[in-house]
Amino acid sequence: MRGVLILACAGLSLWASPGGEYVGSNVCRACHPDVWLNSYKNPHYKSLTAGDLAVEKTGCEGCHGAGQAHVEARGGKTSIPNAFSLMPPGRILDTCLTCHSQDLSRANVKRSAHTLADVVCTGCHSIHQSPARRFLLARAEQREVCYGCHGNVRGQFSMPFKHRVNEGVVQCADCHNPHGSFAPTWRMSQRPRLVDPALGNETPCVRCHADKRGPFTFEHSPVRIEGCETCHAPHGAMNARLLRRPVVFTLCLECHNGTGNFGRQGDGIQLQSASHSMADPRYQQCTACHLRIHGSHSDSRFLR
Amino acid sequence: MKLRTRLLTAVSALPLLAQQTVAPTGELVGRARGEDYLGYNLVQSFETGYRFAGIDGNRGKYRSDVNYRNGIRLLGSNLTMHSQDGQGRYFDELVISTQGLGNDPYQSSLLRVQKNKLYRYDLLWRLNDYYNPALPVAGGLHLMNTERRLQDHDLILLPQGRFQLKAGYARVTQDGPALSTFNLDGARGDEFPLFADVRRLRSEIRLGGDFNLFGAKISILRAWESFREDTRRLRDTPHPGANLDDLVTLDRFRADEPYHGTTPLWRGNVRFEKKHFAVHGRATYSGGRRNFLLDEAAQGVSRFGFNRQTLVFGNARRPVTAGDFNLTLFPRARLTVVNHAAVHSTRIDGDSFYRQLDNGTLAGELVSFRFLGLRTVSNATDVNVQAAKTLSFFTGYRWSNRMFRSGDGLGFPGTDLDRQAYEQENTLHTGMAGVRWRPLKPLTVVLDGEVARADRPFTPISERNLHGLGARVQYKQQSLLLSAAYKQMYNFNAVTVSAHSARSRNYFYDASWAPRDWFAFDASYARLHLDTVTGLQFFVAARLVEGQRSLYISNIHAGNLGVRVAVRKRIDLYGGYAMTQDTGDGRAIPSDTREAVASLLNRAQTFPLRFHSPLARVSLRLHPKLRWNAGWQLYRYKEDFKLVVPSQDYRAHTGYTSLSWSF
Repeated sequence: MRGVLILACAGLSLWASPGGEYVGSNVCRACHPDVWLNSYKNPHYKSLTAGDLAVEKTGCEGCHGAGQAHVEARGGKTSIPNAFSLMPPGRILDTCLTCHSQDLSRANVKRSAHTLADVVCTGCHSIHQSPARRFLLARAEQREVCYGCHGNVRGQFSMPFKHRVNEGVVQCADCHNPHGSFAPTWRMSQRPRLVDPALGNETPCVRCHADKRGPFTFEHSPVRIEGCETCHAPHGAMNARLLRRPVVFTLCLECHNGTGNFGRQGDGIQLQSASHSMADPRYQQCTACHLRIHGSHSDSRFLR
Repeated sequence: MKLRTRLLTAVSALPLLAQQTVAPTGELVGRARGEDYLGYNLVQSFETGYRFAGIDGNRGKYRSDVNYRNGIRLLGSNLTMHSQDGQGRYFDELVISTQGLGNDPYQSSLLRVQKNKLYRYDLLWRLNDYYNPALPVAGGLHLMNTERRLQDHDLILLPQGRFQLKAGYARVTQDGPALSTFNLDGARGDEFPLFADVRRLRSEIRLGGDFNLFGAKISILRAWESFREDTRRLRDTPHPGANLDDLVTLDRFRADEPYHGTTPLWRGNVRFEKKHFAVHGRATYSGGRRNFLLDEAAQGVSRFGFNRQTLVFGNARRPVTAGDFNLTLFPRARLTVVNHAAVHSTRIDGDSFYRQLDNGTLAGELVSFRFLGLRTVSNATDVNVQAAKTLSFFTGYRWSNRMFRSGDGLGFPGTDLDRQAYEQENTLHTGMAGVRWRPLKPLTVVLDGEVARADRPFTPISERNLHGLGARVQYKQQSLLLSAAYKQMYNFNAVTVSAHSARSRNYFYDASWAPRDWFAFDASYARLHLDTVTGLQFFVAARLVEGQRSLYISNIHAGNLGVRVAVRKRIDLYGGYAMTQDTGDGRAIPSDTREAVASLLNRAQTFPLRFHSPLARVSLRLHPKLRWNAGWQLYRYKEDFKLVVPSQDYRAHTGYTSLSWSF
């Protein structure tokens, strides 16, 4: 009975389909009711309701390819032109990009660290079974998708000082574009780490920490040139204010040691003043006086 | 039907894994399929309960790390409405989701509403209650107790059309009390604690559109970002200051620093794709400008015996221009070549007029000027080859050249400034390569390596001679996922005196298994090793101390464990454990010495501590549309070496009880 129904539907659709080999989504529905059941909740369902798209760009066959052979073979993955579980990662990416390549956020997807590691669309998105509220993610929460591979980052967000990702107030995609990113405007444009720049092509930190953005009359040069990561560990740290060291003075002195050809002037980054005796605890908390360490309008030494 | 039940159960089990905060409850309530009503399908659930917390030890540190407190909350809620035929009258999809509303320190809401082919609107609202005494940073004098609220609105008209209109608005505020410090008279002066009333606002308006022209997709965006800070810093009681050896005192202090500015921005993007190539270009320009005024009045006795009023005003400008160009070639199905070229220019300049009055007498006015210009040109080529069905390679070469120019000027108004200009240039070459291998269908192995060389790094800790190695193995078969990864980055940046070495090695193991709909298991372990050595020079009692080293060693062990068991589809039990422990370099007690310099450096070499958090939760189904939930979570923080006084250790029992319902 089921086979008769399938063949009847297939016949009707073939008659209606100009391409001949496309059978239409209603045919798929007969054998895949579990997928069809919630399909109207899927963003891809829009292609069916649009009514003005060619049959090869809509519904099930828009992604899986023409279904005639699959129907005639009475099922089986090998008869599906695009069976994603059997396809190599590169082909999965190309298939999805047929429609999704136009967006600016996917401009670098072909060179992204994810693509180079064979992590393509279906690695993070579940088209038919997504428990997420948006973006068809494979897990209910975005962080769980990322933690699946980035366990070291999961450890960083479990540290005492961290951005509140586990608590649900910050998401990975607030700072990162998993589809790849342009060259950063800091740190010699190297290793984009999927960091998604802010609107003005600046570090994404300034989206929330706008008071550190400037422009300042007196910029602390490394903030602009090397980026916030010079002093801070952005995911999480064992140290206050996400600093890379447990105390401030070692963090500052590691650069301000006056040696080499480093710095703005090429003759070493300015050594601290001789009036600062590091044995005195008063001088060990540098930012107690150099308050505007990210940049100042009023003082070249960041005192006010 | 059995398949559908299995599918829905599998979906509902996933969010329960690796839950790191005990509430809101992960278990679903009501029919996962939802209810049909007037052509829409509705799925909704609400969870309301009481959260409690009992804290022993340093309450400020607890608030800094965790911050959950007592009270009634709407722990979570979800509502989705979907038009079943995709032809709803006003909308086809409505999604509302909230977390922590009521008084949780971390609150968020999400709204999406859209009608096919007509519009799509997204709203994200979040609140972060931030408390941080920052004891190691400024001895607790830089405490912050602020709330940051973020909202972002996005509207797209004709989202599936050839011509799309986009509009957006974002707003970030930060308000609340804080502590600050003020230095009077420089190194020979004194420092005083102040109260600060933090008031910051950033807003952003975006307007743009996408359209197709001659086969190319073009996007134009115009945006305006504005920022204003009106934080006031105040002290209205006398204070002797941190330096007890001097005569500087402060009776009253007030500083107003209004700081307002806008950044207009343009962004254009074009994409063109053919069978064997794709071109993607992007250009952005933002012209940041800030006007500022500092009005500062200090009454008391300065080193020179004066009261002091300081007025600083001026402006700063920062035009930023950036362009990116991607050329992607796919000459064959198994070969992809991508070339990415980027150029970026930032120019920062501004004038700062400084006027100081002592006891009402004009002491003088100075003009300060600074310029910082940054220009970077970079090019990256990546090649991706699939050599065989199970084997592929990738390689890349990146080149980057950066020039920064800076200048300072100082003088009296109306006179030529004494200007000095500097110029630096450095170049970085990076090569990377890797291999991907799938010996079995569920098994993936990825190996990669990277070498980088820079000629004139900007700082002693910048990348100069860098090596990176990475390896990842993943086995994924139905409900079982096993993975292991290793990543190391070594950087050496040595000159005559300042020899810097940084070595990081990360190890990561993960196992997830959900063999039945009533059982799920997830465990992970990561070890993050870091050791750095950097040459130091500094002064002690006006004597230059040379040849010293800053040594920092961190060995962080981070583990997570989560187990979920469902008993007869009525009771759900979840147990979890998260731990983060820095074992330092293994020393049991802090290195101690009477020698002042050695003591200074020894105590910052390692910072061992433990941060553990076990949790347990039970969720009982009382009715298909009603569940009762309760949970407990312990947070325990303990520093092995007491770096700051008072001790930051604490132990906090937190928990909640709640009802989840659906109607």
